[in-house]
Parts: sequence; structure tokens; C-alpha cells
Amino acid sequence: MDPDELEFLGEKSKIMIIPTFNKENIHLISGDLGPFRASLPSQVPLWVATLLKKQKRCKIIPPDWMNVEYLEALKEQEKQTSGFTRMPSDHYMVEAKLLLDCAPDDIPNADEVKVIIKDIWDMRMSKIRSSVTKLVKNSDFYAAVDNLTIMEINSVRPILPHALDNLFRMKHIEQPKPSQNSNVSSFLMSKRASTSFQLSNNEDY
Amino acid sequence: MDLDDTNLEDLNDSNDSEDYVHITPAEVLELMEETWVNEKFAPEILPNKTEVVDIILEQIKSMEVNIKNLSNDDFTKNIYQLEVDKLRFMVTSYLRTRLEKIESYVVHILKEEEKRVEKGESKYLSEQEYKFAQDYSRSMDRYFNKIMNFCPNLTSDTWSSKVIEPNNNSFVFMKSKKTIEGLPIDITNADSDLVDIKSGSRVIICYSSIEELVKNGDVNLI
Repeated sequence: MDPDELEFLGEKSKIMIIPTFNKENIHLISGDLGPFRASLPSQVPLWVATLLKKQKRCKIIPPDWMNVEYLEALKEQEKQTSGFTRMPSDHYMVEAKLLLDCAPDDIPNADEVKVIIKDIWDMRMSKIRSSVTKLVKNSDFYAAVDNLTIMEINSVRPILPHALDNLFRMKHIEQPKPSQNSNVSSFLMSKRASTSFQLSNNEDY
Repeated sequence: MDLDDTNLEDLNDSNDSEDYVHITPAEVLELMEETWVNEKFAPEILPNKTEVVDIILEQIKSMEVNIKNLSNDDFTKNIYQLEVDKLRFMVTSYLRTRLEKIESYVVHILKEEEKRVEKGESKYLSEQEYKFAQDYSRSMDRYFNKIMNFCPNLTSDTWSSKVIEPNNNSFVFMKSKKTIEGLPIDITNADSDLVDIKSGSRVIICYSSIEELVKNGDVNLI
């Protein structure tokens, strides 16, 4: 999946804004927003918040976790444990990127926040890489990825699933199978990673 | 914005077995998003969700009429427009993913559909998709018949005897909506290890093990 599409999925999480305008309800298909009263906090989806912010019609209240103390603690915890820490939000990278891009003035110590989030990300990515190596080496065909966020899962795609596909296939080739499928070969079309060459037993192509 | 009640009722009727009592547009969106992501990651084509797509398209249409009636001075027009654009993106991406799969696996899909009809099950493709698949396979036939004239050793059915199939044993990430017990890791192997998956947990697993669970909505691909 493209990072753009992940952003699309992450954009609907809710965030508090302080509008600088008065407006009755906005009736979106995904639900009603508002009513908006200038300087009274109101909850909107992230994509509405970024749009309004770009038009300079609101101030954004950063999510609870987007502050230096919380993130420092999180970073420390990530460093201490060998597993993955639960992240405050499933789309923390998307949220951080969007908010830090469009509203650095609303987030206290935005630069520092950015650095810590990047540090956490890097730490988690290196853990992911080593667990992927372990998984492939053991050729396990099952792994729990409970505390990984969608963006992190996406970062090992398509290489990890594809590697496992191939391992799985090799394992099944080892055990001789009844030859019912032997004259059927299936080819990988296009860039879709989930499909691939299925080796057939008779090499007639 | 008025909800399109008639359409929502249609959905309820067509899904009697699934106890849809009442469904709001927001819930339909949620459903559409799940359907989209599932379709994106599943190796094979999934049963169609025409009801959901139709409701969304209906909503987009009525929203567009409303947007036209808004004055250009109203800054909320942008917000409405953006939401419509987002929805349209999701629906087109979903439909395109399905068309891509149909183009890749046309022979296999049509065969499976035939089997389903014989067994009296409902088709996976929607009406229009089915028509597209048939047209596509016919043009492929015509094309290969023509091109095979240049290769005297090959007959025109050479290509159709090599059926391209999706690899259902490919690996996918999934998130479970309920607790699942005793799921075999390798469904092709009778004495494979079993795992229990807690509700809400995420795993990477072979698609063939969870194929049914994806189709009945107990797990989502991510």
C-alpha cells in the first residue's frame, strides 16, 4: 500500500481544534461536526483540521501524547524493552507528520517532538528488521505483530510476505504431492506481491 | 443531509442473515473502508459488496447536489468537496483493484463463478464485473486465435490450458475482530500447529488459513 493511502486511513482520527469562526453544524457523510464557536474547542477529523489550519481558521490542540515529556518516557520504554511498546496512536507517524507540517506553531517544542518521534521510529524499525530476520531464519509461518502500527507493518511489505510465500512454497515442494496439479502452472502477473510463480512438477515450459 | 433511507433498507433486506438492524452512513463508510483494504490485500477476488458501493455513490450524488447549492463564499464548501473527493477516491480504488484482479485471473475467476452458480451460491462478481470478465476473456480468445497463426506448433488453446491462478497461500497481515481458537497455521497440512488469536490482535499468517474468516468479516486484512 502506498504511504499516501496510509495517510488516507490515518486522516480520519479525531483531533481537537480551537476555531476562530462561528458556524452552525457541518453535516458530513461521515457524521456531523460542530457547532463551532470561536475560541471554544471542538472535535473534528484530522483532514478537516489540516484544511482549516491551512486556511488559518483554527488553532490545533495537539493530541495528549504529542509532547516532549510523554515521548521521552515512551522512547525510554522502547529502549528498555526488547519487544514493541504499545504506541499511543495507531497512526502516530501520519498524525505527527501532518500536524508537524501544517501546524508547527501550535505544538510546543515542535522541533524536539519531531526528533524524538523520529528516534522512536528508528528504534522500532531496527527491531522490526531483526525480528524479520529471525522469523525468516526460523521459517516460521506465523507471527504476532500486535503492537506494530499500520505504517510499520507496511514498511516490511512486500518483502516479508513475499519471502514467506517463497519459503512456504519450498517447504511444500519438499514433500512430494499427488500430481493432480502437475500440469497447471500459475504465473505472477503485474506487481502484486501476493501472487507469484507456482512451481509445477513437470517442467514443460 | 438526509440519509437515503430507501437504500439503507435495501442493504438490510439483502443481508437478512447478518442482522443489520440499523446502519448509519458513517457505519457504511467504515464498512467501505474495510472492504477496500481487504480487497487490496487479498490475493483472490472477494465477494462483491455492491450494496455498500451503491449506498456510497448515492451519498456522493446527493452531497454533490448540496455542494452546488452552496455559495462560493462559504468556506465549508471546501470541506464538503474534500470529503466527496476522498470517498470517490476510495470507491474507485476499490473497483479498480477488482478489475485488475479480473484482468489477471480472468479464466480462473470465470471458472470459479461457474462452479458457484452450479452449487447455487451467489456470484463473487457483480453483474457489470461479470460482463466485463466475459468480454475480456472473449477478446483474449480472439487475440490469441489471431496470434497463434504465427506459431504453427501451438494450437489456440495452448494459452487457456495454462490458467493463471491467484496464490492463496500467500502471506497477509490481519487484525482479528473476535477471539478465534484453534486456527491451523498451515491449512494444507493436516497436523499443522494450531494458534489462538485474541480479539484485536494482529498477526501475519497464510491467507488460505483465514480465507473464510475474511469473507465472513471476522478478521480484517491490514
